Amino acid sequence: MSNLKTITVTVNGKHYTRDVEPRLLLSDFIRHHLGLTGTHVGCEHGVCGTCTVLFDGESVRSCLMFAVQSDGHEVTTVESLGDIDNLHPLQEAFMEAHAVQCGFCTSGFLMSLIPFLEENPDPTEEEIRDALAGNLCRCTGYQHIVDAVKLAAENMAVQS
Amino acid sequence: MTKKYLGQRITRNEDPRMLTGQALFVDDVEIPGMLHAAFLRSDYAHARILSIDVSAACNRPGVVAVYTAEDMGDFWKPGPLLVPAPRGIEGAFFHARTQIPMARDKVRHVGEPMAVVIGESRYLAEDALADIVVDLEPLEAVADLERALDPDAPLVHDDMESNLGSFVPQRKGDYEAAREQADLVIQRRIVIDRGAAAAMENRVLVAHWDAKSQEMTIWDTTQAPIPLRNGLAGMLGLAEHQVRVIAPFIGGAFGPKIMMFQPEEVLLPWATMKLNRPIKWIEDRRENFVATTQERGQIHDAESALTKDGHILGVKDVFLHDSGAYDPYGLTVPLNSQNHVMGCYDIPSYYSELKMVFTNKMIVTPVRGAGRPQGIFVIERLLDIAAKELDIDRAELRRRNNLQPDAFPHNHKIIDQAFAEFVIDSGNYPATLARALDMIEYEKFIKEEQPALRAEGRHVGIGVVAFIETTGVGPYEGARVTIEASGKVSVATGVGTQGQGHFTAFAQIVADQLGVDVRDVHVVTGDTAHFHWGTGTFASRGAVVAANAINAAAKGVRVKVLKLASKVLGAPEEELELADGMVRVADIPDQSIGLGELAVLANPMRGAVEPGSEPGLEATDYFGPQYGATANGTHAMILEVDVETMMVEIKRYVVVEDCGTIINPLILEGQVHGGVSLGIGNSYYEQLVYDDNGQLLNGSFMDYLIPRSTDMPPRIEIGHEVTPSPLNPLGTKGAGEAGAIPVPSLFAQAVEDALYDYDLEVLEMPLSPNRLFELCYQKGS
Amino acid sequence: MEIAGEYVFHGPREEVWDLVRDPDVLSTALPGAQKLEKVSDQEYVGDMNIRVGPVSGLFSGKLLVSNEVPPESYTLTVDGKGGPGFVKGTGDVQLVDQGDGTTLMKYEGDMQIGGTLASVGQRMLDTVSRSLIRQGLETLDKALQERVAARSEGREAKVEAPTETEFAAAVAKDMAGEALSSRWLWIAVVVVIAIVRGAVILTSGRGG
Repeated sequence: MSNLKTITVTVNGKHYTRDVEPRLLLSDFIRHHLGLTGTHVGCEHGVCGTCTVLFDGESVRSCLMFAVQSDGHEVTTVESLGDIDNLHPLQEAFMEAHAVQCGFCTSGFLMSLIPFLEENPDPTEEEIRDALAGNLCRCTGYQHIVDAVKLAAENMAVQS
Repeated sequence: MTKKYLGQRITRNEDPRMLTGQALFVDDVEIPGMLHAAFLRSDYAHARILSIDVSAACNRPGVVAVYTAEDMGDFWKPGPLLVPAPRGIEGAFFHARTQIPMARDKVRHVGEPMAVVIGESRYLAEDALADIVVDLEPLEAVADLERALDPDAPLVHDDMESNLGSFVPQRKGDYEAAREQADLVIQRRIVIDRGAAAAMENRVLVAHWDAKSQEMTIWDTTQAPIPLRNGLAGMLGLAEHQVRVIAPFIGGAFGPKIMMFQPEEVLLPWATMKLNRPIKWIEDRRENFVATTQERGQIHDAESALTKDGHILGVKDVFLHDSGAYDPYGLTVPLNSQNHVMGCYDIPSYYSELKMVFTNKMIVTPVRGAGRPQGIFVIERLLDIAAKELDIDRAELRRRNNLQPDAFPHNHKIIDQAFAEFVIDSGNYPATLARALDMIEYEKFIKEEQPALRAEGRHVGIGVVAFIETTGVGPYEGARVTIEASGKVSVATGVGTQGQGHFTAFAQIVADQLGVDVRDVHVVTGDTAHFHWGTGTFASRGAVVAANAINAAAKGVRVKVLKLASKVLGAPEEELELADGMVRVADIPDQSIGLGELAVLANPMRGAVEPGSEPGLEATDYFGPQYGATANGTHAMILEVDVETMMVEIKRYVVVEDCGTIINPLILEGQVHGGVSLGIGNSYYEQLVYDDNGQLLNGSFMDYLIPRSTDMPPRIEIGHEVTPSPLNPLGTKGAGEAGAIPVPSLFAQAVEDALYDYDLEVLEMPLSPNRLFELCYQKGS
Repeated sequence: MEIAGEYVFHGPREEVWDLVRDPDVLSTALPGAQKLEKVSDQEYVGDMNIRVGPVSGLFSGKLLVSNEVPPESYTLTVDGKGGPGFVKGTGDVQLVDQGDGTTLMKYEGDMQIGGTLASVGQRMLDTVSRSLIRQGLETLDKALQERVAARSEGREAKVEAPTETEFAAAVAKDMAGEALSSRWLWIAVVVVIAIVRGAVILTSGRGG
């Protein structure tokens, strides 16, 4: 266990200082070192998008990054959105439109969509489908996810 | 009034936990002192093991143990035959060759485990895999189904005379006589290749033996926690109550997670007892491609005999089914194929031979659809070809051959996957077909739109196919329903959940019976500590078998509630109603008692409980259907092919589904959407490509393509026919697999129609842009 | 996977023959190649460690030369296995004297690839191996020309092997922007070795 590197990462606004191996994946760091298990891992080769988190505000696949690369940076995970009794409007829309089945890929979708909706508050269905194309879902066939994004955009527009 | 939840679009109880990352998946389980396992898997499809040297691996820092088959002693034995072969079919045979926990003398497929490293972390365990030196003598492998039956083919199992693992001939009527009378006989060879289930969550397992309490806890991504618990207890020499299997939230399953006693599932519980420390194994995606079961590979030599007005006189189908290296799941998949070749049609004579073949590839067990898509593909293709030959409209030909509403129960007179005669309980096939044609505006498209599009040089085609799905097979499921002192209701059932919305659909049923809010019904699935009778979630049976058991148990509680409330309120039971979490006298709303209060009265701290009565407001009940309910449906699509690139765009997609009584249309739609997306994958994107040596050539999501949001049609339009099943009180039929079943046959028909000027005949699945290009431009080669 | 091709060496056939029978030259001609143990004139063995990013493992290789007809032709059998999979192949190599001082090499063989190499590497295999074969042979041709020149000038031949980085960059160029990892590099290197005869210990991605 030699060769550890000390890193300080801000995750969901909280500072963490940890000693990690240089090869430790950011996804494993988030899940197993910080215990933030809402981020899931589906393929570990950057295709499925399940492990998507925000890195300095941008969507990234945490399985394609090493934890040491996050030193001094800001990571945001699904746990930063709403909680069970007070869902984020996007989460609320996912529930309303039945965009969740097994729920495994869901966090990745949410974390891809947060920056997308910030940049495109009023997306067309085609834009939504393009935005979703980097995340794989095996349960829903995507239609209810598309519906949820439309609904979330409408609700967020009303609220803002 | 009691709020009726059944049939309503109720959003899901489980969603807030999932959406906030609070739902427990197996890989979220962390136990202090937990070790991690990594498996050394064979790179060869077929090879003799000469020696395995693990000494270097054992000496690596962080490695706690390395095991091979040799270390397992008497515990090493082939897994149980999960599904036996049906008996009493004349001329049939079945050779059971079930999977082994670790290869001992030879490996039979790429991915078969040869050793396991248990280390302080997954990283260290994987490092140590590279230290293991295995001396293998490669043997000729057999990957091709037909090659496997050559007399000189290498044998997957040395003790067998050939690779033919099973033969099942079945007959109904006299096909040869029908053929004699026919005006038209169509003969075709149909080839369907393998695909992956590819749930987003791979398999995961945590096994924890607690020596002090003498209890084993196993968190497992399984579809069948109870049979797994029972089997593992037996293998480990423990009492069943010493073993608890928990299937928490599961990240999709689609079939392979029903496959029990896989090597990892047997080895971890064994190793945790040896080491007395908890062990976790997380399958990675690459392992999932080579070591999780797969499905679909079959070759059919099919023929149909028809009159000149398009009536089917008989069908004959001789087919090879690829079982992979072992056959632990018996004949479920090929029997489904054999049965579904008769589709939703009135077929007076049928002769079929099923030949199950061993190959040096990963084991085949059901994947969403489970043999049914192949059967439906065969009959629907034969009908399409007949329609062309006879110049009869495709939809009209199906109408002419449909079983009529008064034909039920209809006995197809061959043996099905439940080992009973295949009887269809109910349905209205002509209505389903008509509604789908209406929704997609079939006539208008064919007569007006398509000619105009063709005149513009565009290649836009329409397809319409019908299908059945045998669902909800026995033997049984059970449930316990309890009203707690809080007035909330808890439900426990044995089936596991992999995203089907059981926490909501089951709650709806209970809420209706007991007059409570659906959010106040807490459902536990897949934990043997909560309910320990049952079989599992497979064969589209949750909403049929488990739901009816829950309904029965809830009714049992209702009876107890009414009896006690009648006494407490001093009113006859007939005058009581259950609503808003209360029991009240119908005409006198003031005279009421809360269910929680009643539950406390039913479980007194002092005094006496009446002889013959039970404490609490709780009931346990079971449901086992006489035979499986058969769902049906019609799918229709319009798609356009770009003949330059052979890319397809699905413009419209219509589903008309009859799964009997609908518990929750919102959840049902989700199930259909997901099924259709797998079907689209099976049609045009997903193919597990093996070379002649049994090597998988596309074992990653970079090369194995599962449909993305942009590959799906803009909308899947869904219509419902409802013919309740007479086989269960709720009248439900399964729906989980239905969406996937007809898509390949539908896609084939629509593509042929789109490419009308290429004289295309699609006799294989899956296609791809490349393959379609070849079919169009390299005909005859 | 079938491998077939031709290459023109700018030197006489006997020189080419000597070159491809000289393990030291081969090991300088390929980046990552370190040494090679000669079991006999016809058999070479070597171990190699592969370690790049998450892919690491011990690889053992064996090479057999048979059907030798100097300086015209020979058959090669290569057999390597390790963490990322295995490679097994047989190929026939022919050297044709073209009468103008150049030698035409014709090679034809069949490789079996297994394990992760096959399941994950398949789609890149063809392009990468073709690219590496071409570069490996070009490097050998340079060595050949240097030998011929040195001999005529009566001096020692000096051969500078391209660095691994240069090699990888050239492959990347051939791959037209496709990602490259050591796995493809290794398999392609084995292919090259099979053709030019020799077995090597190599560490691809060393220092990476």
